[in-house]
Amino acid sequence: MSPSVRWLLMSLVLAAMTACGAVVAPQQAMGRAGSISLSLTTVPTIRSVTISPGRASFTGCTGGDGGANTRSTFGRLGFPNGQCWVGSNVSASYPITVTNTGIGSDIDISGSSATPVEGGGSWNLCSAGGEGPLACTGRASKPGPDQYQVLNFSTWGTRHGGISGTPRCDRVFGPRGSCWAVEGMVVTEGLELIGPQWSSDTSTNWTITITWTPVPGRQN
Amino acid sequence: MQRRLWLSLPIGALALLAWPAASYASVGVGVQAGPVRLDGVAHPGGQYALIPVYVVNTGTQTESVSISVERISAGTGRTVPPGWISASLVPVRLSHAQSARIPLELTVPRTAAPGRYFSDVVAKGSASFSAGGARLGVAAATGLEFTVAPGVATAGWFSVPGWVLAYVLGVLVVTAAAVGVRRSGVRIRIERSRDDVA
Repeated sequence: MSPSVRWLLMSLVLAAMTACGAVVAPQQAMGRAGSISLSLTTVPTIRSVTISPGRASFTGCTGGDGGANTRSTFGRLGFPNGQCWVGSNVSASYPITVTNTGIGSDIDISGSSATPVEGGGSWNLCSAGGEGPLACTGRASKPGPDQYQVLNFSTWGTRHGGISGTPRCDRVFGPRGSCWAVEGMVVTEGLELIGPQWSSDTSTNWTITITWTPVPGRQN
Repeated sequence: MQRRLWLSLPIGALALLAWPAASYASVGVGVQAGPVRLDGVAHPGGQYALIPVYVVNTGTQTESVSISVERISAGTGRTVPPGWISASLVPVRLSHAQSARIPLELTVPRTAAPGRYFSDVVAKGSASFSAGGARLGVAAATGLEFTVAPGVATAGWFSVPGWVLAYVLGVLVVTAAAVGVRRSGVRIRIERSRDDVA
């Protein structure tokens, strides 16, 4: 093969390689990749609630049977079906402050069984009007034996059926029975406890737990 | 009388100092708003690590946060049996504004029905206020959703416990060392001197 033919073949091969992109174009080789860094800030996406009670305690107890010496005294629940209060919806006293410190959420409320401090048989949390899984079995839908009921109230009204053992929409958290709370929304509440018709356990000190829970609501 | 007055002054001052703390004391707990999801689908008999759930103490009091699975919020799908989800490192103790990520693991029994599952992951704080005999507490919930597809989960073609791998590796290293010494021609000869015999 003569040198001229060899040069021709080489130039053809080079041209073909360039056309196929196997050889990078000189302009592209000279170019420089560029990038910029961007920062982005998002709103917080935490669902949370805080409570801060003032001077909260069950007082102002009424009801019970004086003839049987089981009438309520100011700070002690009587039988049958005595009532005690944390705050008062009559005097517009709402000692428990509930604040939605997270994103918009439904605020649920639930309660536990009442247990004697020293241990023993408990009282089950019941509700009326189909509000919860356990109906109050006493007269006029009041708590029956070893049952108790908790009603919560705020400036928006009173939850008459009572709260239940499973978290349910806190119907007094907003107007028209709504429990939707936007961030920073503050609601003050009180509690009314209606005691059992009678108690199997003779303990005089009982503990219950009320829990507020923000849950994914209508918008999330 | 005057002495009592002087005694009451520092007590009053202390009470005044304590007043703001008492006024602003709160209990609170927060959880990530985004639902806890599983990447891909689960299969009966499988075990899956879910993305750790973020919890934070939004109150002023130190508290322990525990995790439970409950069906609270509205959603479609079968309810997740609580026993399918296990949380590690709980309860986690958090001071004010402190947060943590709690690992969750999903274990799907072999008998699980296929379909979409939905429940809530509930973070509950241990701190509470006492109102007479009532304890007032807080919790926070976020969604939990995943899909179980038909077919039993398959383990990888080479799935053995970690200790077996370590044992096999150890045997291989010892064997290689023995072969290497043998081929190198190095010999170790042990002799007993006569003094030792005596």
